[in-house]
Amino acid sequence: MIAALLVATLAAPAIFLAACFVGKWRERALAWQFLAPAPGLAAGIFGLSHAPVAVDFPGLGLSLTLDPPGALLLAFAALLWMAVTAALWRDRAPGARFGISWLLTMFGGLGVFVAGDLVSFYLVYALVSLPAYGLFAFSEDPEKRRAGAIYLAFALLGEALLLLAFALLAAGEPHGSARIADVMAALPASPWRDAALALIVAGFGMKIGLIPFNGWMPLNYAAAPIPAAAVLSGAGVKAGVIGLIRFLPLGVPMEGWGEALAALGFLTAFYGVAIGLAQRTPKTILAYSSISQMGVIAAALGLGLARGDTGAAGDMAFYGANHLLVKSALFLTIGAVASAGRLSRRSLVLAAALALSLAGLPLTGGALAKLASKAQFASGMPALLATLASIASAMLMTHFLIHLTEMSGEAAEDARRETPAVLIRFWPALALGALLLPWFFADAPGEALSLGKIWDGFWPVAVGVAAALGWRRSGLAAPKIPAGDSIVLYERGFARMMALGPVFETADARLRQWPAAAASLLLIVLALLAAASI
Amino acid sequence: MIAQPATTPGGFLLVLAVLLPAAGTLFSFALGSRAAEKIALGLTPVGFFLACLVAMKVAAAGAPIAYAIGGLPPPLGIALRADGVSAVMMVTASIIVAAAAFYARAKFATPDGVEESRGALTFWIMIQAIWAALNLIFVGGDLFNLYVALELLTFAAVPLVCIDGRPETLAAALRYLLFALFGSVSYLLGVALLYGLYGTLDISLLAQRVGAAPMVWTAAALMTAGLLAKTALFPLHLWLPPAHANAPAAASAVLSGLVVKGSFFLALRLWFYVLPALPTAAPGAVLGALGALAVIFGSVLALRQARLKLLVAYSTVAQIGYLFFVFPLAAGAHVWSPLGWSGGVMQILAHAFAKAAMFLAAGLVAEALGHDRIAGFRGAARALPLTFLTLGLGGLSLMGLPPTGGFEAKWLMLRAAAASGQWIWSLPILGGGLLAGGYVYRILAPALADGEAAIQARPERSREAIALGLAVIALALAFAPQGFFDFLEIGRPFASGSAP
Repeated sequence: MIAALLVATLAAPAIFLAACFVGKWRERALAWQFLAPAPGLAAGIFGLSHAPVAVDFPGLGLSLTLDPPGALLLAFAALLWMAVTAALWRDRAPGARFGISWLLTMFGGLGVFVAGDLVSFYLVYALVSLPAYGLFAFSEDPEKRRAGAIYLAFALLGEALLLLAFALLAAGEPHGSARIADVMAALPASPWRDAALALIVAGFGMKIGLIPFNGWMPLNYAAAPIPAAAVLSGAGVKAGVIGLIRFLPLGVPMEGWGEALAALGFLTAFYGVAIGLAQRTPKTILAYSSISQMGVIAAALGLGLARGDTGAAGDMAFYGANHLLVKSALFLTIGAVASAGRLSRRSLVLAAALALSLAGLPLTGGALAKLASKAQFASGMPALLATLASIASAMLMTHFLIHLTEMSGEAAEDARRETPAVLIRFWPALALGALLLPWFFADAPGEALSLGKIWDGFWPVAVGVAAALGWRRSGLAAPKIPAGDSIVLYERGFARMMALGPVFETADARLRQWPAAAASLLLIVLALLAAASI
Repeated sequence: MIAQPATTPGGFLLVLAVLLPAAGTLFSFALGSRAAEKIALGLTPVGFFLACLVAMKVAAAGAPIAYAIGGLPPPLGIALRADGVSAVMMVTASIIVAAAAFYARAKFATPDGVEESRGALTFWIMIQAIWAALNLIFVGGDLFNLYVALELLTFAAVPLVCIDGRPETLAAALRYLLFALFGSVSYLLGVALLYGLYGTLDISLLAQRVGAAPMVWTAAALMTAGLLAKTALFPLHLWLPPAHANAPAAASAVLSGLVVKGSFFLALRLWFYVLPALPTAAPGAVLGALGALAVIFGSVLALRQARLKLLVAYSTVAQIGYLFFVFPLAAGAHVWSPLGWSGGVMQILAHAFAKAAMFLAAGLVAEALGHDRIAGFRGAARALPLTFLTLGLGGLSLMGLPPTGGFEAKWLMLRAAAASGQWIWSLPILGGGLLAGGYVYRILAPALADGEAAIQARPERSREAIALGLAVIALALAFAPQGFFDFLEIGRPFASGSAP
């Protein structure tokens, strides 16, 4: 049963994709693609309560797996994809170009949670990364085109690093198996362990916006229309989270690597908040919040790696799943607020609860996520940093709420136009769902309701909110930092590299002269002779 | 190595595979352009069938099949021999020649009421001659025999470049011809040296006799340099961009997809079949380094081209570079050598299909838009969806993204590089992929953007489908099962890690 569901998770989007190649079916296939994640949703729910399963197709070299961390993320991602897709196509009929990009991204976004071997993981990971370009970058707006080019550059660079990482993983497996479980079992003893780990952290770090690879994310979310930003920030980024979960050898203590990753994660968590506080557009602030939250996940996984704690995988899957729901709901909140014009008190409370859920507000799903991370942030320095991260998050989310209510008319008009009407109408239900759904999937939800835990969750949020409001009252202006911060440096470096182009052209023109070519021929003969006589 | 039996069952198939297009060439020459078209088109399925038969025979025997011409075994006679790689290359050649031929019907049909068309006659004759020469290269077992095939290949390829007689194409063709002749002389010198040393040019006999003498290395260096000149490995690529970019699309597809692979195939024969017993690590590294330079230079220059066909041609310069990583990555009899070998052959195949598809598609774009300036592509993908899908799929393979043959090639090569500790080769492999991402983006991003491209003439569906078909094959290569890679090992000295 579960094997069939697992296969259907990938087969369903593949069938919809195939239907798109037939002209007369295309429109209908795209309109009905919201059904494609249904098997994934079922598989995810089944997989949560079952022992991990693996399905192998040796002839195709394909293998699928489902374990509880993957299942949880799969179920939530599938739900998100279904809801947003259905609403988007009910509201309007996006063109084929957008629709196919959407379907491909969805295919990859579901596949990463079930892919069980290196090659198919690489394929679905490429799918969740590259086609997303088509969701926002085809535009006359130069800023969107810039965001698209930068997004693609980082995505391709991440792909290249991961390809090498996977080659090292495969080379370290003595029996020639490409199954993730096998290569990961062989990794701790592999001679290429350190190189592979560095590449894995860098490759997936690009996807989740770890510094210094964070700059593309604010540009991307600012450029993407709200439904696309919701699925990309919610489901898309989790491809990087599942990547780290799958490809960090969590069962074997690796102190050096673990602590390095934890340090990088915490650094990212605070950096994201700091830069986010200097931003003014709600979408950009949410992007920096994502960077910060992914930093927390990386830090927890790093600490898990340092202690050899496999439990970190499930914990961070839960943390990620909560972020998946909340962040996508927050993007929809922008649309809802923009179309409502003014927020009623009840909506404001709901929006605030949603936003502060990311800081671990008691009674929200965020409180459970925080609880899930406590095994990693139990004591000492990590505990202190985690509390500080909560405070910082609360500050950033308060900053978000302030700018949400102060959106300029033009920005609000854009947000209203981008968001499907259905999602605006049902926004309160969606927001409540995002707050409550995690309660059904937590290990011990009752624990979060104890008075001590409520207080533990409450005071950092209160401090953060107070700090943000106090800062606003003080009238101190934040320094002007462009969205994408460090990306400006990369662009400058890139422009300098592009300036080398004419050098290559001149060299090519010279080398293609007859005398040069004849000399090259002679030199090659001599070089081969010299090499042979060594 | 064991003495080769003179002729194995099924050996006559090799003779047929070479003679069939050769006979087609002669009859076409005699009967004129209208008949030539019919002969060429009619022969393609037969040739494909023959190539498949050869592959089946090799697979069934699990060993190379051979034919001794005139019944005389080497060194007296000349042997034809087909192993796993030869068979796969023959099948590849037959598919791409067929695709180019059917695609070219629109351009090179002899119009009604015209007795004879010079361009058409040239095209139909030369494409068959190229095919015959390639088959001879793939099955030739004797270095002089291979020299003849190589010359035939060059002389058949040059006229295709200047088929329309414009001055710039004539200049390009002349450039190609002269430099290829340079290469021939160099190769022939090396062959003469080997003959003087060992008194035979039969590949398997030479392999048993060669030793690491300075004279042998001199011969190998001269032959290799000659072959590199014909393969247009950077920095010997002076002739390739103008030749491939100015030829008609169908011809470019054959030139870029197949012809440069012919001379490369001989380089493989030389280093992996004649000299495998010698310490080839250092010369292999030289070849790999040249390949790395080609990858970087070719890709950067492709990024800077304003015209699609020139971009695709420079991309060929880059992709040829990848082929040369096979020399360091498949050398010797290590556990990782089969990975490198599979990766190298996969790169030949993936590039052959992807690049042929892209040149055919580029031709359609140029016909439909009336130009091939990339700056003028806005919105063209909406007007020509199938053609730009072809360019996209081909580009995916060039970038090495899954699921494509290009990905499979890079995946195998990277694993070989890791397993052999030669991680240095992973840098150009990955860097080239990134740069390829850049130039594919340059084609696709404007084409997929909003806008109305002015279409002058809508290309026929069938021609679009031919190009797309080749791109789909480049994609399907990603799903090659292990049995395919085992097949490629058939007949390779030291295959499967057997001791030298």
